[in-house]
Amino acid sequence: MKTLGILLLSASILSAQETTDSRDRSTARSRVLELASAFANDGFKIRDGYWSGVLEKGKPQVLEVNLFSGNAYWFSAAALAPAKKLSVTLFDESGRPVDGKSYQDGTTAAAGLIPDASGRYFVRLELVEGDKADFCLVYSYK
Amino acid sequence: MSSRSAISAVVLLSAGLLTATEPLTKEQIKSAVLSEAITIPTPGEFFSAMDEQGQPNWTQMFAPKPAGVTASREQMALMLGVLVADGYIAVEAQDGQGVKNTGKEIINLAKKLNVSQSVISRGNSINDFAENNDWSALREELEATQNEVKLSMAEQKDKDLVILVTVGAWIRGTQVASDFISKNYSPGLAGLLRQPAIVEYLLAELGKTPERVQKDTLITEVQHKLQSILDLIHTKDRTPPGPEAVNTLSSTMDSLIDEIAKGHKDS
Repeated sequence: MKTLGILLLSASILSAQETTDSRDRSTARSRVLELASAFANDGFKIRDGYWSGVLEKGKPQVLEVNLFSGNAYWFSAAALAPAKKLSVTLFDESGRPVDGKSYQDGTTAAAGLIPDASGRYFVRLELVEGDKADFCLVYSYK
Repeated sequence: MSSRSAISAVVLLSAGLLTATEPLTKEQIKSAVLSEAITIPTPGEFFSAMDEQGQPNWTQMFAPKPAGVTASREQMALMLGVLVADGYIAVEAQDGQGVKNTGKEIINLAKKLNVSQSVISRGNSINDFAENNDWSALREELEATQNEVKLSMAEQKDKDLVILVTVGAWIRGTQVASDFISKNYSPGLAGLLRQPAIVEYLLAELGKTPERVQKDTLITEVQHKLQSILDLIHTKDRTPPGPEAVNTLSSTMDSLIDEIAKGHKDS
């Protein structure tokens, strides 16, 4: 009986944690969509797909994307507290940083480019200041 | 300050800072995250880039193939992806009725795969946006519908079929693009077909499906043909595929679409 009680308590704690994690991801997504909507005003279409997870200082995360020359892109990211400062950097398929535009405002950041060649690119998301936090990244194109 | 004006004020730290950034290490490149929902571009992105580099006649290019009757869930999943790409072509052609018809076919096929009610309600949204000629909203709705279908498949233990929807959409998008580019060749347009990382990803994911899926004759054919085009589009130094390679790509994609659309032996 005692074992069953512990199991039920553990399950309810895990379930509450999952709900909190899911709510945090959803909040991070809302924040990043708010940022991306600013680019939508300039005709950028926001992708429905997104990338989310947990970001730690000193452990940048890298995402592979496939872009087309002729299009313009903005990669927008947002993190929740206790994150304080976020950065987004873009690299070509050989890992060299690519020139483009960038935006940074505390826990939101974005990087934009017009690729000169179609193919594979990388997006690096880095927590510059603050502690481990949930993040969400979306991209827009036109 | 609105987020838009805030962005205008702060944007453009740009070139000087970026050139000081260290390149990614080989390990970072190797361990980069591949997330299908964001790593693989939509047909809409592909078509948007074509619009920038050529003047495709989308009305002429919107020629969906009627789907053959099949009982094969693998074939239905591939066909679903083809229909999603057709939806994007209809949007580019600004053909409201075409979008509605394609949306209806997507929902009918999704029902056969027993997807959730939430997907079916997407069909109504597609109709509403098409009625109002809201092409931008339709592009987002098509992607959202595709993602919802995939989610619903994954929830009902059809996870193995999810990649087939992506494969079907990529094949149809590449078929119409390579057909147009083969008839209007320019290095700029042909460069859009240089997508080796996408084909490698699709092949790798197909390779992870269960033996039962891989033994399906249609899936074997898809794998074989995707492998055969990899060399054509994996050009060195980001050079675009030549006219001959584009022609071969176009005929390979044509034959794959014929295979996907025709009735299946198990039906």
